[in-house]
Formats: sequence, structure tokens, C-alpha cells
Amino acid sequence: MHSLAYFFKQSLQGFARNLSTTLGSIITIFLSLFIIGLFLVGALVVDNIVKSVESEVSITAYVKDDASSQQIEEVQTFIRGLDGVAEVSFTTKEEALEKFRNMSSNAAIVDELGGNPLPASINVELSDPQQVQDVANQIEQSQAFAKIADEDNPSDSLKYGQRTVEKLFSVTNYLRYIGIALIILLVFIALVFINNTIRLAIMARRKEIAIMRLVGASNGFIRGPFLMEGALHAIIGAVLGIGCIELLRNFALPRLQSSLTFLPIELGFNSFLMIYLILLVAGLIIGLVGSALAMRRYLKV
Amino acid sequence: MTEATNQGARSARRSADSSQAARATASLSAALPSLEVDDIPQQGNPVISFDRVSKVYPAQPNRPALDNISLQIYPGEFVFLVGHSGSGKSTLVRLIIRELKPTSGTITIANEDLGSMRNWRVPYLRRNIGCVFQDFKLLPNKTVFENVSFALEVIGKNRNVIRTQVPEVLRLVGLQDKLDKLPDQLSGGEAQRVSIARAIVNRPPLLVCDEPTGNLDPQTSRGIMDLLERINRTGTTVLVATHDREMVDNMRRRVIALDRGHLTRDQQRGVYGFDA
Repeated sequence: MHSLAYFFKQSLQGFARNLSTTLGSIITIFLSLFIIGLFLVGALVVDNIVKSVESEVSITAYVKDDASSQQIEEVQTFIRGLDGVAEVSFTTKEEALEKFRNMSSNAAIVDELGGNPLPASINVELSDPQQVQDVANQIEQSQAFAKIADEDNPSDSLKYGQRTVEKLFSVTNYLRYIGIALIILLVFIALVFINNTIRLAIMARRKEIAIMRLVGASNGFIRGPFLMEGALHAIIGAVLGIGCIELLRNFALPRLQSSLTFLPIELGFNSFLMIYLILLVAGLIIGLVGSALAMRRYLKV
Repeated sequence: MTEATNQGARSARRSADSSQAARATASLSAALPSLEVDDIPQQGNPVISFDRVSKVYPAQPNRPALDNISLQIYPGEFVFLVGHSGSGKSTLVRLIIRELKPTSGTITIANEDLGSMRNWRVPYLRRNIGCVFQDFKLLPNKTVFENVSFALEVIGKNRNVIRTQVPEVLRLVGLQDKLDKLPDQLSGGEAQRVSIARAIVNRPPLLVCDEPTGNLDPQTSRGIMDLLERINRTGTTVLVATHDREMVDNMRRRVIALDRGHLTRDQQRGVYGFDA
């Protein structure tokens, strides 16, 4: 306990000694943790959206304009006979247009279009979301549906949740790669900064260290203040980052939710707590690794 | 150590006239009575033992800094290590505190082989060896008291030990009135006394000095040597590397002479005299 207090005192002295580099390393840790945090929040939001899309699994099969009602009836009966299907309904071209007119914020566009570009569709509600791929495959392969499918290729005329999820993923994957690259870059910069700050702290205390070695201070005792200093930088940086994300959560998130009502970006406080914990641990690792690297190079014990 | 102590106890009983010296050093450790120079027996386990030790620096592969050195130093001895600059004195000192490792041969300090010693054990070795250098190695922004207490702080001694031992050891070296001075307010002799105080404050059984009087005038040097002798009389083994001819000739202690890495002379009550 006594030596912990000593380490703490020494690392605070290190702060005062190299204020500008200390601030530099704290700010780089803060920024990298802040951005890591933002990406984690984004990942949670996307995860939520994916889940909500998955839970609304329904299959929409678009139908050619010139399909006869008898053909449509035949397909509907076929689908009703499949495993995992709960309900089958039909949406006419006119109903589709009406739906679109209600959903779209600018109803005038629809009037401008002149004709009705929207196809009629058969909507399939599933009792078991797990079977969406099976059911879709069977509809796709049926001869009856191939005859009335809107597009030449029957699979293009089928829309179901799985595809939306896949599309969402292809977009978020790019974002994820960019995020990971950015995080790696920032972590690297933070490591360099901490390395440099600790190097300066070691240089400033070179004489003291020489005497400590001479009188037999243990290696841990010599290293302690520098590890503590790196860890303190990290903790301060992490607290700043967590503070910023908490501010965003309280002020920006409600606004985002009210302007993007159709997206389920409701996140519980528990998920944020989890993110904060991750940031703190990540910061500590960055701080300790950074100072350990500096000590390996500049502190021979 | 114990043999020397027993011998010392016997000699203290034998000669009452050495009790004055004993009083002078009693404050350092009452348990260790004084020894007379002639009584020091070269027996028991040596504190320092070199066995065919050579040290070759990579920069000078053809000129070993130490060449096939074998020597033993026993508990309670006071030994001068003499030689010109570059004769290998400092290398020998740095081998003892394991700042360097020998190229070949084995060094044993208090029955512990430095060659097989693990790195993490080295600090504990150094706690048993006090070190004094020519350039004092004091921290300029710490007071005399803090410079000495620092040595106890960093080996984890608690505050009570520091509060009692530091003033005691500073009284022993005669600096009890300068506790709050900074090193640049001290004379060279006083600064060296502080560094000796720091070296012995943890009561190591072995004190190693590398040119302790190299920066000091003859009279001040005499004072430092007296202090080292007093420390020796408490039972501490003292090894002094020096090229201070007058001092060695006056004190008539064991002299080990090095010349260009070779051990040329090892003599009880010797003199400096290279040319002899």
C-alpha cells in the first residue's frame, strides 16, 4: 500500500514535469477511445435494426401485371400448403399504390408518375421465422409462380427479410472496415504518444533511477511509477471519452430517435454501461502497453 | 560474518584500551564491538571471492580489462585496491555489484554465485553492498536527509525505521547539523560523507568505494578515510579502490594492486608503490 502511494505521487510529479506531452497522450487516448465508443454504439444500433428486421420475416412475391386471377389463386393455394406458412394475402396494384402514397412523405410524386409502376404482390406471413429460406426456395422453384413472376428470374421477384438483412450487412461491413482502420491508426498514435511521454519521464528521472538501482530498489519498485503514469493517462483519457459519449447519449440520441422514428435505435443503459467498461479496459491496456514498451527501450533494470 | 564477530568479541575483552574507538562507533551498532587491525583473521567464508575472473569489453577484444584475477576478501577486512587509471579497478567494483558480468571465471559474494544469480535477485544483493563513488551521486533537488532516506524508502523500509536510522547515520558521519541543506550547499567532503551515510544507512556487511577521495583535497580525504576506518571497526568489510598514494602508505592495510588487468601484488599492511 505504501509503495502504491509512492508510485502515485511520483507519477503526479511526472505529469507536472512534462505537461504538454502528458496532455498530448491523454488527448490521443481520449480521441481513440471516443471513436471506438462511437463505433460500438453504432454497431449496437445496427444489431438492433437487424434483429427487428429479422423478427418481421415475411415474404413478398411480386406478380406480373398480366397474371390472371386464377393463376394467382393457384399460387396462393400452393403457398398455403407449405410448412411454416401462417397466412397468405394478396395486394393489388391499386392497393400497393395507395400504401406507397401513405408511406411517402411527398404524395405529389405519386400523382406526377401518371401510370401505376408498382406491381401486385402476394404476401406470405410465416409462423416460424427460421424457415424463411426454405419457404422462399420452394416458392422460387414452383412452376406456377415462375409463370406469373414479375421479373423473368423468379428469385428476383421474391423479397424477404433475409435479403434486407444481407443488404444492411454489406453497407455496415464497409463502415466496419473504415472504423477498424481508424481505430488501429488511433491506437497506434496513442501508443506512440504514451511511449514518448514515458520516455521523457524516464529521462527526467535518470539520476534517481541510477541511485535506486545502486541501493537495491527492486525492479518492480523502479518500474511502478512509470506504469502508474501510463495507466493514469489512460484512465483520464477513458473518462473523458466516456463523458463525451454520455453527453451524446443524453442530448443527441433523443433527437436522432425523434427524427428517425422508423429505425429502432432504442438502446438500454446497460448496453452503454458495457461499452464504458470496454473503453476503460481498452484504455488501460493501451496505457500499460505503451509505458511497458517505453520501459523496455529506455529503462534497463 | 559470525567468525569475525566472535573474534571481535574476544579481542574486545582482551584489550580494554580499544574501548575508546568502540564508544565512537557504538551509535552505529552496539552489537558489533570493535576490532583491532592485527586481529582480523583471514578465515571462514570470504565475503568476496574471485576465481580466475576475466573481463573483456567488446570494444577492446585484445586487451582484457581484468585478466585471470583470483582473490579472497574476508569478513571485517579493510582492503585497498590500487592501480593506475585503466588498470581495471572500476571494472572490478562493477563486477562485485553485478553491474557487469565476467567474461569467464566465477565471482562469489557471501556464498552466492553471481554467475547463476537471477536478474530479479540482483537488487537484494545490492542491499547488502554499500557503494560510494567519486562523483557522490547525490540528488540535487533533495536535502541531505532526503538523499539518505531515499535509499531506505526505495527498498520499502517503513517511516519509523527511516526516522530513527537516518539521523543516527548522519550523526555518525558528522553531518547532524546539515540535515536540511541541499547538496550544492555542501563542500566536497560533506557531500562525500552524505553519500557514505547513504551507503551504510541500511547497515550492509560490505562497503565498496570507487575513488571516494578522487575529488577531495588531502586533508578532507584523511577525514573520509578516518570515517571509513571507523565503519570498518564496526565489523563492516571495506574495499576501497583508489590511487591516493599518501592515504594507502599511511594506513598500512591490505593492498591489492592491479596493473593493466593483472593482479600484480596482494600484501598485508602494504604500501602503494607500484615501482617497488
